[in-house]
Amino acid sequence: MNDSTASGDSSPGNQTTPPKPTAKKKRNLPGMPDPEAEVIALSPKTLLATNRFVCEICNKGFQRDQNLQLHRRGHNLPWKLRQRSSEEVKKRVYVCPEPGCIHHNPSRALGDLTGIKKHFCRKHGEKKWKCDKCSKNYAVQSDWKAHSKICGSREYKCDCGTLFLRRDSFITHRAFCDALAGESAKKNTALAPPSADEDPKIQTNLPPSPPPAMEAPPSPPPLPVAAPPPLQASSPSAPPSTAVLSSVLPLHNLELPESASHNPATTRILEETPMVTDSPVNCSSNSLSSNNGSTSSNVFASLFASSTSSGILQSQATRFPDSFKTMAHTKQASDVALCTSSEPISLCLAMNQGSSIFKTVGQECRQYAPAPQPAMSATALLQKAAQVGVAASNASVLRGLGIVSSLSPSSEPQRWGRQEIESEGASLASGLGLGLGLGLGLACDGGSALTELMLGTPSVFGPKHATLDLLGLGMAASGGPTGGLSAIMKSINDGLDVAAAAAAFGGGEYSGQDMGRSS
Amino acid sequence: MMRFTETLPSLSSHQIASFTRLNMNKNNQVYSARPWLDFPTSKSLGSFGDANCMEQLLVHCANAIENNDATLAQQILWVLNNIAPPDGDSNQRLTCGFLRAIIARAAKSGTCKLLTAMANVHTNLAMNNHKFSIIELASFVDLTPWHRFGFTAANAAILEAVEGYSVVHIVDLSLTHCMQIPTLIDAIASRFEAAPLVKLTVAGPTEDFPPMLDLSYEELGSKLVNFSRSRNVVMEFRVIPSSASNGFSSLIEQLRMQHLIRAENGEALVINSHMMLHYIPDETLAVVPNTSSPQISIETCSSNSFLRSMFLEALRSLDPTIVILVDEDADFTSDNLVHRLRSAYNYLWIPFDTVDTFLPRGSKQRQWYEADICWKIENVIAHEGPKRVERLEPKSKWVQRMRNASFRGISFSEEAITEVKSMLDEHAAGWGLKREEEDVVLTWKGHNVVFATAWLTI
Repeated sequence: MNDSTASGDSSPGNQTTPPKPTAKKKRNLPGMPDPEAEVIALSPKTLLATNRFVCEICNKGFQRDQNLQLHRRGHNLPWKLRQRSSEEVKKRVYVCPEPGCIHHNPSRALGDLTGIKKHFCRKHGEKKWKCDKCSKNYAVQSDWKAHSKICGSREYKCDCGTLFLRRDSFITHRAFCDALAGESAKKNTALAPPSADEDPKIQTNLPPSPPPAMEAPPSPPPLPVAAPPPLQASSPSAPPSTAVLSSVLPLHNLELPESASHNPATTRILEETPMVTDSPVNCSSNSLSSNNGSTSSNVFASLFASSTSSGILQSQATRFPDSFKTMAHTKQASDVALCTSSEPISLCLAMNQGSSIFKTVGQECRQYAPAPQPAMSATALLQKAAQVGVAASNASVLRGLGIVSSLSPSSEPQRWGRQEIESEGASLASGLGLGLGLGLGLACDGGSALTELMLGTPSVFGPKHATLDLLGLGMAASGGPTGGLSAIMKSINDGLDVAAAAAAFGGGEYSGQDMGRSS
Repeated sequence: MMRFTETLPSLSSHQIASFTRLNMNKNNQVYSARPWLDFPTSKSLGSFGDANCMEQLLVHCANAIENNDATLAQQILWVLNNIAPPDGDSNQRLTCGFLRAIIARAAKSGTCKLLTAMANVHTNLAMNNHKFSIIELASFVDLTPWHRFGFTAANAAILEAVEGYSVVHIVDLSLTHCMQIPTLIDAIASRFEAAPLVKLTVAGPTEDFPPMLDLSYEELGSKLVNFSRSRNVVMEFRVIPSSASNGFSSLIEQLRMQHLIRAENGEALVINSHMMLHYIPDETLAVVPNTSSPQISIETCSSNSFLRSMFLEALRSLDPTIVILVDEDADFTSDNLVHRLRSAYNYLWIPFDTVDTFLPRGSKQRQWYEADICWKIENVIAHEGPKRVERLEPKSKWVQRMRNASFRGISFSEEAITEVKSMLDEHAAGWGLKREEEDVVLTWKGHNVVFATAWLTI
């Protein structure tokens, strides 16, 4: 009947075929039956019959004899359910009654009755199921049902290519999408603007004709008249890739090609961002947030990525080494390590952020960050924080910051831990695991029994041999102590110096390691 | 009790013992002074994950901070930090948000100098929150029925109310930056044969409440005008600089001036307030709780004291055709931190609980979404006085206010209900619609989420 190289997928009894499947055979190619199966050819009428088994009492029809038998029980008629026969049921395959059909050939028979019925209806039957919402017709009811469920869902497609499940969403999108602006700009340029409002003092109605640039998203739009001038001058005619708004922005511009999710529309809006903002700080943060979605939480927040981004979180631990390894190759790394001033710390923060996602970008970041202007966002604040820190530096909690200087330059990574702490002397924070003391963010009485528990945490940053179990409370198990810790730190988001300290912990650790290696 | 202090506290063996026990589960002795120790020890730590337990811990922690018990607060914080990772389940993330807020509060309370110093360096809170591009925001508000519920109900009611007017003036006080307007314009265009002139007035510039928009209202307006034109509706758009913090006083003033002209024109005035009025200071703002000096400064606050009600009365004096009031159905106005914490905890679990139904873990949008909730939590918990802007009131309270201002509630039409229902059908199964008297309420698993009410002048 057919050559026995290929066996049916579901044939249980075919022991002759060795387990190695022939490479050419597609797994689910329909109609490669077991050669030993019994080939059944049903007439079209039989195939299309829905209720072949009819109850003699109530004329109710059934598709299967078994069901009829069950039904007959209700009438107290004699009934007979087929028992499972002891011997293997003979495998059956079904051919299509349509002579020209490929499945008419027994070698391409289909393995189950439902399959051949559906095939026959779909390919050779009448499409009697019609969709109410669209013009589609279906021969098989289940196909029609499946379609009905999703019909309309793909109905709304904006010219920008976005598909919408719901009309509301589509309309809302459409109103704001640049695709519309471009289209109606062409159509309606001649239309007269609505008359000015009654009250001239009130901000005037906008000119109805959209900025011409809206037609072409890739080209930067001219500044709308009403918009305040950008603080950081960018040449409006410069293409996005070369526009340098600030040193922060370029970083993200560099990222742009890598983040696949950006469409021209968002890019365009991004570039307008500086106009809306009113301070350099805001400006850079705006650009940050709008530019790369995942950095929305901006430099500061994303340092403690866990706080807002669970996605970034998971590899936090591994990212520290990455970012700081990169650092260690530069002079600045040692600057960071040696200097308690917060500026380099901010640098390292920025790098952490950049390189954690795109390592190459991290490199760029290094070049840009020292520039005065960008530093404004992160660095200036950190400087302030540092000053505050100095002011309060008798407060021993701040000693945690001291670690930045005392720890990082050391080439011995394992200075972490008790030795270090003890050498810090008996002060409020010193009894504690330094990082955690700050992490908890409250006046950390080193005297509290927390010490014992908390000492475990630095070990997470530290050499692997440290036992996580020390924590006992399952801190590590519940999603990463780094995350938890940094989440807390983030919350004190004013406490940038805490942040810095935290980064310095990680950073000091790893850059220390690296430097140790390189020296 | 130990105060937040800079000096080295004495090492207490008692504390060490208690903590060790908690950790090692070797001793079941309970220290009643440390209520959280009543909870199971490490072996059964899983039960810490229970939402009720976490709420209890938060309450104890808030109490400890309010009482300046640094040690206790810190210990609870530590436990909370361990049982509520920011990437945990919805309750854990919720608790984590509260945990951060409590820490921020502790940092601001002035009892710990270092943290206070840090608070001085406090950067704009807004920096943590995503600034949405207009397109992002458009898709963002449609992720859940949270906003669309109000949009749909309100639009239906507005459409009915403005039928027959040749000029419709819509004052859109919306947290979502006019996201409701496109569908309203679309409906106006398709419903009326001769579309009225639509004047859209918004209060600007955008305030720093999430969701934040990365676009000026002028540009937003030009897009809306443009869209209206594509639907053959003529729209005038204007921004009136005005803020919720002073009860939109300048907006009211402008509207009042127009009121006279409006009467002659036969112009419909629609006040559409979508989750915005709760930013207007309420009576409780008059009382500024301060742990160090619990004085009530009546002079400074008297101007605020009835701002919310005054605003509604001012609205009433404008004789609007219809007023739509949509807001979240919860009470964040209590002066008592613990009350507020409980109230917020028992409301804000909902956005965390729903998020799994529409956003995958780790998605950017989810980060934005949760960051915005956390912003709310922090605002409710960590701030006091005028900085605490999230002052939700329950529906009953708003209804009372509206009635006091001589408005009468009207029912939403069956059409509106049907529309809302079919919108809800397209979202997760947990969403529901409840009718309470004239009003409609969006529910999640039976809990009230957002109410929508429509009002006419008496």
